[in-house]
Amino acid sequence: MKLDPSFIWTAFVKLLSAVPTTLFITFVSVLGGLILGTAIALCRIYRVPVLGPISTGYVAFIRGTPMITHLFLVYFGLPAVVDGLSASLGWSFRSVSIPYIAFALVAFTITASAYMSEVVRSGLLAVNRGQLEAAHSIGMTTPQALRRIVFPQAFAAALPNLSNSFIGMLHGSTLAFTVSVVEINAKAQIVASTNWKFFEAYLAAAVIFWGLTVLIERLAGALEKRINVYNRGGVA
Amino acid sequence: MIKLSRITKHFGRQQVLRGIDLTARQGEVVAILGPSGSGKTTLLRCINYLERPSDGEVEIGGFKVDCKHPSKKEIQTLRRKSAMVFQHYNLFKHKTALENVMEGLVVVRKLPKDEARERSAKVLEKVGLGAKLDAYPSQLSGGQQQRVGIARALALEPEVILFDEPTSALDPELVGEVLEVIRRIAKEGITMIVVTHEMGFAREVANHVIFMDEGRIVEEGDPKEIFARPKEERTRQFLKRITPEASYSI
Repeated sequence: MKLDPSFIWTAFVKLLSAVPTTLFITFVSVLGGLILGTAIALCRIYRVPVLGPISTGYVAFIRGTPMITHLFLVYFGLPAVVDGLSASLGWSFRSVSIPYIAFALVAFTITASAYMSEVVRSGLLAVNRGQLEAAHSIGMTTPQALRRIVFPQAFAAALPNLSNSFIGMLHGSTLAFTVSVVEINAKAQIVASTNWKFFEAYLAAAVIFWGLTVLIERLAGALEKRINVYNRGGVA
Repeated sequence: MIKLSRITKHFGRQQVLRGIDLTARQGEVVAILGPSGSGKTTLLRCINYLERPSDGEVEIGGFKVDCKHPSKKEIQTLRRKSAMVFQHYNLFKHKTALENVMEGLVVVRKLPKDEARERSAKVLEKVGLGAKLDAYPSQLSGGQQQRVGIARALALEPEVILFDEPTSALDPELVGEVLEVIRRIAKEGITMIVVTHEMGFAREVANHVIFMDEGRIVEEGDPKEIFARPKEERTRQFLKRITPEASYSI
């Protein structure tokens, strides 16, 4: 086999068209996962009756099964649920009109939510209990205290883990090709299928992923620096 | 006026408060003394419901709450009528000194930001931190942090300020500056309930001293009386241990 450097470049340029799809899947699943994960973390930390134990079980199950399994379960299970619901409610909506990417978004949001909930939980636990007490003592309600005092500090504490999960979801988004979504990896396969230069195509894909990862690391680093201003200082 | 009636508190099967009655009149400084584990901090935290009393009644400034079935709203109201200064300061770590003091005024009292900023700066000036408005807690010494904590409580102009061992976590040489601030605001006629180990301070500043042991008030009264002629044996023991007579020569 002889390496064809010029085709790496050709593939690289062609793959760029799939970058938005990859980023879209990643951002949606991270954002959705973060919101859902925060709810789960709160349910567990505050031992909410019923929801607390359910959350614990959910996290155990999702983290105990591979991401691709979530995708397949959603891909093969969701249509039946949608059609059943649709039929009983008399809607005209049918599962065949669900775009493929929606399955990936739902499945990866579920995956992300379990991991994110642990990231958020660690962040929340890192905030001293005294912070909440102080907020209460000046008359804040618990939601006010969480929003204004606890969450900002928890976010700062969770940021390194958060960027880690973000990168994990970026790389994990490649699994979407198994349900016919053309993201970077799938695009590489398509590009190479005409001349069988798979190695060159995947090499180009690797470079793109690496670049995106470095970008995320840089952004997280900059954010961390900004957010942690209050932790600098000599004393105490 | 602050009035506690028949306050009890259980942690599981352990009873830490066994029916406490306490009254602090407007402008009075009440010092609560006692060995560790006597329930004094728990009692203080029951007043603003950081700890939930098992039974009894809490009244602040005419607002009375039955501890058996308090509503969220009632707890909220009690907390808005009081403020607390913590042993470990508990300043909001991600906010500057000024923002720490402003927070309650803006979020709870709904003051316009400009007004809150002005008022907060004034209070910080008063505790001697006019030059540290933009410093984060991590950039302040323990004594300075505690003075911000006092300013945060003071700015809210509460009916009562609750002090939970405000100098216990400080280096000995920083205790003075904090006590000085508390002494000064006591003179302004702000009602205060102070849990403390600083006997000299209690004797000098308090109008009323309460001695607690094992969840009960053992003895209370005028500080001069209690320190000079404690009636109860338990009080005598405690005071002897904590303020040894200078009977030895070096």
